[in-house]
Amino acid sequence: MSWLGEFEDELATRGIRPAVRERLVTEFADHIACEQGAATAVALTRLGVAREIAGQYADELAADGARHGAFAAFAALGCAAAALVVSQLTLGQFVGYPGFDHGFSAALALPAILAMLVGPQVALVGGTLAAWRAIRRRREPVLPAAEIALLRRRVRVGLLAGIVTTAGLLLYTVDFIGVLPAWWLALSGALAAGAMAALVAARRALANSSATVVFASGRAGDLFDDVPALRRLRGHPLALCVSAAVASGVVVTLAEWHAERSLAEGLQRGIFEAVVLSVGFAVLGRTIGARR
Amino acid sequence: MRAEALKGHLDGLILATLANRPAHGYAIAQTLRERSDGAFDLPEGTLYPALHRLERAGLISSEWSTEAGRRRRTYSLTRSGGRALGERRHEWKLFATAVEAVLA
Repeated sequence: MSWLGEFEDELATRGIRPAVRERLVTEFADHIACEQGAATAVALTRLGVAREIAGQYADELAADGARHGAFAAFAALGCAAAALVVSQLTLGQFVGYPGFDHGFSAALALPAILAMLVGPQVALVGGTLAAWRAIRRRREPVLPAAEIALLRRRVRVGLLAGIVTTAGLLLYTVDFIGVLPAWWLALSGALAAGAMAALVAARRALANSSATVVFASGRAGDLFDDVPALRRLRGHPLALCVSAAVASGVVVTLAEWHAERSLAEGLQRGIFEAVVLSVGFAVLGRTIGARR
Repeated sequence: MRAEALKGHLDGLILATLANRPAHGYAIAQTLRERSDGAFDLPEGTLYPALHRLERAGLISSEWSTEAGRRRRTYSLTRSGGRALGERRHEWKLFATAVEAVLA
């Protein structure tokens, strides 16, 4: 097999898209053709080993793709956050919250509200951790396969949670058609649809970049590399979970106590927050690199 | 010089070869070899991943042309590539001065 044929095969094995493969092969063909006659053998020797060059290209492309995927996901999650904040602020400020059982069906309202409560928190954690790690490793041309897998998992979790949140907002909007003012329904529906489009685009970009196969060796980092203040809790996942749950529970209790002027209401929401965080840690902790 | 030793400097060297005029991959490899008097004899294939990486970073741009019936990708320095080259030159001067001071 010719050098170029072997090179193209290696690129395909590494999951490089056909358009990119064609460009690279064309460039290398021109390079080889620049050395004429007997010198061609010399040129091939100087080019290097086809498999190694294809591997280097794939590893660099995957590292770049994972980082860009994290930034694109963070931006898309920002759109989703803006949609949720604007819809809820305008609802609270100009319309007033309707009871969950005042819409078309509580079977629509309850999952929608749950999605809008839990989804943003998971999205915030997944999206922020992904973007933060991408920023910290931005200067490295090649990242270990395990590190890229961690970045992709965090992005996936963040985007999925963002999609759940936005779907919750859309569901909420649909449930209250005929109850809430048309302007609010139109505003929230449009914002949610825009955010959903951004999230789906980011999800598609992630899927495209995930096709690249990485072989670079090395270990993946974890939450404790990202947040050095937590290093003492490495190896103590239960302590980390309890600390985070208690801290967030206390913050939510105090905030809701102040907002609702009711300690009982504050405690109820604070306990709910702590339980949600504990469940989230148990289910997603390993996926996002918060525990081994 | 071993390719390993060049790794950290390859991007800067490529930017420097493109500082005066646009060039295609083969011409860049030749310029590197000639200007270094043969010392920079790295596997030329490794240039292309670096060129693509620099292009993704916005430091160089590229376009197709046709030469003797062959399609050819020609690279040129962008404005931010020019700034990056200036920074690398400055860093290198500081580094070389410090190493010289220690070794001499």
